[in-house]
Amino acid sequence: MTETAQIAKTAAPARPREKKRRNVFDSLIGRSALQILAVVGFFLLWEAAVRWGWLSAFLVGQPSGVLRNLIGSIANGSLFTDTGFTIFEAILGFAFGTVIGSVIGLALWYSIFVARLVEPFIAAINSVPKIALAPIIILWFGTGLLSKVALAISLTSIVALITAYQAAKDADKDLQALLFSMGASKQHIFKRVIAPSTLPAIIATFRINIGFALVGAVVGEFISSQHGLGHVIYVASSLYDLNTVWAGLFTLMLVGFLFYHLVEVTERWLLPWKQQQGGTQINV
Amino acid sequence: MSSPKVQLRLNGIRKSFPGKEAATQVLDGLTFDIHERDFVSIIGPSGCGKTTVFNIIAGLVDPDDGVMLYRGQEVESLRGRVGYMMQKDLLFPWRTVLDNVLLGLETKGIDPKRALDTAREYLSTFGLSGFENAYPKALSGGMRQRVALIRTLVLDPDILLLDEPFSALDYQTRLYLEGILMEAVETFHKTVILVTHDIDEAVALSKRVVVLSQRPARVKAVHDIALNEHSPIAARSDPRFSGYFHTLCAELDIQTRKSA
Ligand SMILES: Nc1ncnc2c1ncn2[C@@H]1O[C@H](COP(=O)(O)OP(=O)(O)OP(=O)(O)O)[C@@H](O)[C@H]1O
Ligand SMILES: [Mg+2]
Repeated sequence: MTETAQIAKTAAPARPREKKRRNVFDSLIGRSALQILAVVGFFLLWEAAVRWGWLSAFLVGQPSGVLRNLIGSIANGSLFTDTGFTIFEAILGFAFGTVIGSVIGLALWYSIFVARLVEPFIAAINSVPKIALAPIIILWFGTGLLSKVALAISLTSIVALITAYQAAKDADKDLQALLFSMGASKQHIFKRVIAPSTLPAIIATFRINIGFALVGAVVGEFISSQHGLGHVIYVASSLYDLNTVWAGLFTLMLVGFLFYHLVEVTERWLLPWKQQQGGTQINV
Repeated sequence: MSSPKVQLRLNGIRKSFPGKEAATQVLDGLTFDIHERDFVSIIGPSGCGKTTVFNIIAGLVDPDDGVMLYRGQEVESLRGRVGYMMQKDLLFPWRTVLDNVLLGLETKGIDPKRALDTAREYLSTFGLSGFENAYPKALSGGMRQRVALIRTLVLDPDILLLDEPFSALDYQTRLYLEGILMEAVETFHKTVILVTHDIDEAVALSKRVVVLSQRPARVKAVHDIALNEHSPIAARSDPRFSGYFHTLCAELDIQTRKSA
């Protein structure tokens, strides 16, 4: 025991100060390589399984077919039109829903009376599965763009509202007291404390609401539409055209992924005082 | 020597907070005077209501009873006229050092250009130039406290309320900041009320020390401190320093023994 202790003692300082040993793959390039490998491997396995007859192409589709399908729809431009429709609906729904919800949520901070009055109603509205509203919304707003945007708004606004209101309530009381002792008005306190301290929470809802906005747009398209990725997926699945369904799904995935990164860039830009840390996204 | 002019008089201030069963009586008819350009330390057992006194003066808490006179006039509070440095440094994490200092000036609606000049001047006086654009997160405890102090001073308030401003700092940093505070107070002719747990600090810095009793707090004694030296380090070696120190210790000791 003493011997090993001795060795450890003498060996430790002799070793040059080396950087903490890192995994060979723990770098951007290494990680990307692994990730790409995993994706390619997955598709190859899938393709092989179908070709060797382990899986039925009719039920699960086939990567080569999906790829052919994607190339075809890029060539005839329909992929861009459909993706464009869905993105447009989702962005409008996201923007209006998030803005409307945040504004109402923050406004509730101004009046404790009104806030307490409407709190149970907000809870009630929140507990309704908004997707169940889709048929009525389409009845009211038609089968065009408006109904998809409205559906996306119904999903996103309530999330933004509740988050913004809660964050405003949670804003540091001492910071507010400090400003108040300086003679600050309520508007002033709102501008200097409430708004900036709710911003991180509101941006956090961006991540969630991007998912929700896409849900709203796609579900709206499922129910009735002539365009959009939801339309493509819905029609294809009713024809058992699994390859087209996958092509639509993968495109949706790519859209969500790009939006997600857009939020990260926005966050870094709006919250320079916050240390950047990996966020989580809920996809519904 | 003519009797000094009273700047702020607290008269019979009472405050109780509602509790689960019975209300807690915190201040029980508190009465004391603050003179023009005074430096008063308030000491007393923990939880006796020192912060509550400040909150009442600053207008954050309404007293149940009692009056406050400011230069002879009855006032509800000194909200907007005090520079309140709270027990926590309370720097705004999303604001840079410079923007934190500017906070009070913005609130007062001072011309942004002038405010910026003033803020920069204070920052360089207090040895913080070069940190203007740093966020509070990147500062040491002593620097944070310095920024909070500047933010309080730059407002040019009638009265500074300092609630244990240096209690979280090491001795060396504390002496340094005490020195900075004394210099600033002398340069800008400020009236200061300082809450501290540190009898040492109270004696070294103050002209007078108000001793509060156990809760419900009343003024137990007011001591005039007459030291020849006023820099925080020199004051501590003044021959009369230990006399004051022991008197105040004795007074607080009685309190703790009673509560035990
Ligand atoms: N807003 C409040 N509501 C209820 N009770 C309060 C409130 N503020 C203070 N108190 C009570 O009043 C008493 C005095 O509190 P205060 O913060 O003034 O003490 P303090 O002398 O500053 O203590 P310390 O030296 O530990 O800072 C405490 O018992 C505290 O629990
Ligand atoms: Mg206190």
